[in-house]
Amino acid sequence: MSIAIEVQNLRRVYRASTSILGREKKEIVAVSDVSFDIKQGELFGLLGPNGAGKTTTVKMLATLLIPTSGTATIAGYDVVHQAQKVRESIGFIFGGERGLYWRLSGEDNLRYFASLYRLDPSEAKKRIPYLIELVGLKGRENEKIEGYSRGMKQRLHIARTLLHDPDILFLDEPTIGLDPVGARELRSIVRDLQSEKKTILLTTHYMFEADALCDRIGVIKHGEIVALDTPQNLKQGVQDLSVIEMEVYGIGSEVLDKLRAQPHVDSVSLEDREQKQALVIQSSHGSEIVQDVINNLNGYRVERVVVREPTLEDAYVRLVGG
Amino acid sequence: MQRTTTQTGLLYTIISNLRMFYEGSRLSYIALFHWLRPSTYLASKIIMPLNQILFFTFLGEFSGQNTRDFYVIGNAVQMAAISGIYGVTMSIGGDRWAGTLPYLFGAPSSRLVMFLGRAFFHILDGAVGVIFGLVLGVLVLGLDLSQADPLLLLLAIIAATISSSGLGLLLGSVSLVTVNVWFFNNTLYFLLLLFSGANIARDDMPAWMVAVGDILPLTRSIEAARRVAAGGSFDDISGLLTVEVLLGLFYASFGFTFFRWIEFQARRRGTIDRM
Amino acid sequence: MLQTTRQYTRTALMAAEVVLKEMAVDSFIMFTIVIQPLIIALLGLWMLRDRPDAAIYVVVGSGMSGLWSSMVFISGNSINAERWTGTLEMLVAMPTPLYVVTAGRNLAHVMQSLLSMIAAYAVASLFMGYALDIDHPLLFIPSLFFTVVAFISFGLIMAPIFILSPAVDQFKNGLEFPIFVLCGFLFPIALLPEWTTPFSYLLTPYWAARALHESAHGGGDVGVVLASWAILLLSTVIYVAVSRRLFRVILRRVREDGTLGLA
Ligand SMILES: Nc1ncnc2c1ncn2[C@@H]1O[C@H](COP(=O)(O)OP(=O)(O)OP(=O)(O)O)[C@@H](O)[C@H]1O
Ligand SMILES: [Mg+2]
Repeated sequence: MSIAIEVQNLRRVYRASTSILGREKKEIVAVSDVSFDIKQGELFGLLGPNGAGKTTTVKMLATLLIPTSGTATIAGYDVVHQAQKVRESIGFIFGGERGLYWRLSGEDNLRYFASLYRLDPSEAKKRIPYLIELVGLKGRENEKIEGYSRGMKQRLHIARTLLHDPDILFLDEPTIGLDPVGARELRSIVRDLQSEKKTILLTTHYMFEADALCDRIGVIKHGEIVALDTPQNLKQGVQDLSVIEMEVYGIGSEVLDKLRAQPHVDSVSLEDREQKQALVIQSSHGSEIVQDVINNLNGYRVERVVVREPTLEDAYVRLVGG
Repeated sequence: MQRTTTQTGLLYTIISNLRMFYEGSRLSYIALFHWLRPSTYLASKIIMPLNQILFFTFLGEFSGQNTRDFYVIGNAVQMAAISGIYGVTMSIGGDRWAGTLPYLFGAPSSRLVMFLGRAFFHILDGAVGVIFGLVLGVLVLGLDLSQADPLLLLLAIIAATISSSGLGLLLGSVSLVTVNVWFFNNTLYFLLLLFSGANIARDDMPAWMVAVGDILPLTRSIEAARRVAAGGSFDDISGLLTVEVLLGLFYASFGFTFFRWIEFQARRRGTIDRM
Repeated sequence: MLQTTRQYTRTALMAAEVVLKEMAVDSFIMFTIVIQPLIIALLGLWMLRDRPDAAIYVVVGSGMSGLWSSMVFISGNSINAERWTGTLEMLVAMPTPLYVVTAGRNLAHVMQSLLSMIAAYAVASLFMGYALDIDHPLLFIPSLFFTVVAFISFGLIMAPIFILSPAVDQFKNGLEFPIFVLCGFLFPIALLPEWTTPFSYLLTPYWAARALHESAHGGGDVGVVLASWAILLLSTVIYVAVSRRLFRVILRRVREDGTLGLA
């Protein structure tokens, strides 16, 4: 299979002013050294914590930013020197609501973008109703965007990016802020695109989403790829781990520190849920250490202790450190 | 409650009001300064005003209706309205943009003092603007101020800035409840050019225009400045300037009442955060 | 080639349509293209009331002032507005070059700002009862056309500069009245000190105003009008050529600096 996207030693440094007067400049290395290939028809996930450099990478590939160094080619075209060619072959979404004309209707937005994507009016006329239907905006297309919900705007962005039927798609957090049903629908659109053999670069913070959709995943941290493999293999990497989950009440950070200091405990995290808390402990010794842990929680109420297989999220947490 | 105020209590009140005044003016000065970064200052407070004076003066000269000095003085004094209207509105409305309005309403100290504090620097700034305009007039347009008593001229200038800042305080309060502040401000500023007598002698105006000019700021201070330039004495202008300042105070108090009313409404309905 | 031209024209017109739909009821635009020029017109009509040709002179001159104010304020603001809403970034990554879109947007802004002249005309003739004859319509109409074209292409120079940095915004207040003064919109530049004349000659709006005034109520000196047209055309050619380069350089620059969107 041929390579659709080739990224070599990509690096991007921002110079941001730190004082109000803009005198002092600070350099921020957003992407320090990233290389990967995406095959034609592949759905590649880019995962990483906030500020890891995902959006910056995508923007460089979408010709919006010029790399500080390194190269990237899309469908064989260089993103810096053949930007025009690249733009014709790609579609992109930067998750969220920005980037639309609020005082125009959804349909007018699509008509305008169709012309910017150089579609013939006759083509656009057929394509726009089809896409409106596809993203489930039928019946609302004549309303102004300012009255759209966040999810509707994001769907419109999906329609927008498919106008010229690009072979390569960059989807930066397409499901951010969508309700569960909306996110599910969006994933099904992505799956359809996948079955049409589109090449897709997807970033997301939802691990199950990445697990369910991606053929391969790159994990990026501090602007560098720290792991790159199929979801199965990434999970394989944490097969030695078991995950202990328990519901607890009123635990503070000193208890967490105490747990972290226990032998065989890899990582400990605590999440607040309503009145209770969810304590998640990764350990290579699984059920053997459950009793130790419970002993350490002496005096706290502990419920529903579960020991389970690791998920992609666990693999991710281990990779980026939690 | 006021009755029980002791000597120290009174002193405390004065000091805290002074502090409030200082805080108010400091804040608006910072806002002003932010607005007026050197490049903005150059563009908005020097190039624009001076060229505006040039534009209307040459237009007036072309018309041949009045002397050149007539237009130079009228349009220079009009510069007071730039700080008075735009600057003051910005320093009051600025709270809305910055989201600090709830804190302002919540502050326990005297609102009037704070309110006036906000106008203080703009009065100074406006006076500087007018002086710039007059200096330009003398240097470039041959304005003759040899007959003028500088102190009296300064009085006229300060009266102009006080009255236009008064209007600015009113507009600033209005700006808290409307989104079209700039539309109102700009329109008003340009209407002043038409009605204040800066460019059309009031003798030539129809009665209704004179009447409109009578209730607007600047009209009297422009007249006073022209009298001073012609060698007028304090007695020639004292009446005009008294009314001018009173007019400014009237607008300011009207603005303040409106401000209190908005505050009251906002508290009553709990809409402060949404303003 | 032909197809590309057609396509670009279509897109530019659509961009113009988008501008008009988006900004239909913006009070800032109303002020810039109607209120301010109209107040200037009223002042002018009143002040120049003793001159026989005053009315049409003022209508043309205040119309020019509206055209220029719109150029300075509205074109710049609309770029910044696109920056805030995130569509500027979209536009840059589209296969249609940004200058095509900008040309369409400028077309809309300039056509819209002709409203200044129309409003002044309406007020002077309907409400104030002036007889407003255009002396040489066959010279006036092409003059207006060349003016519009020159303004649209000048906008192609302004746009990339505004794209480069929102900070340019700070200067625009200082760009309005100097042009009113130097370009003879409402009074002849002969009133100005002599040393300013070369500056006036360098400014395209001066020639636009000159052609319009000459054909509306001046002697209708064909030589003057033709010369003005030639200069307007020449400026147009220069602006277009320079803007192509400017767009290239500045779009590369903003992609290097990462200043297209909001940080
Ligand atoms: N225009 C900019 N100017 C300066 N710094 C920037 C700019 N854009 C991003 N950065 C910085 O670069 C780093 C990487 O940002 P980026 O947006 O690529 O991260 P991300 O992985 O997409 O994060 P998130 O998951 O939050 O979307 C961050 O430190 C960010 O603050
Ligand atoms: Mg991101």
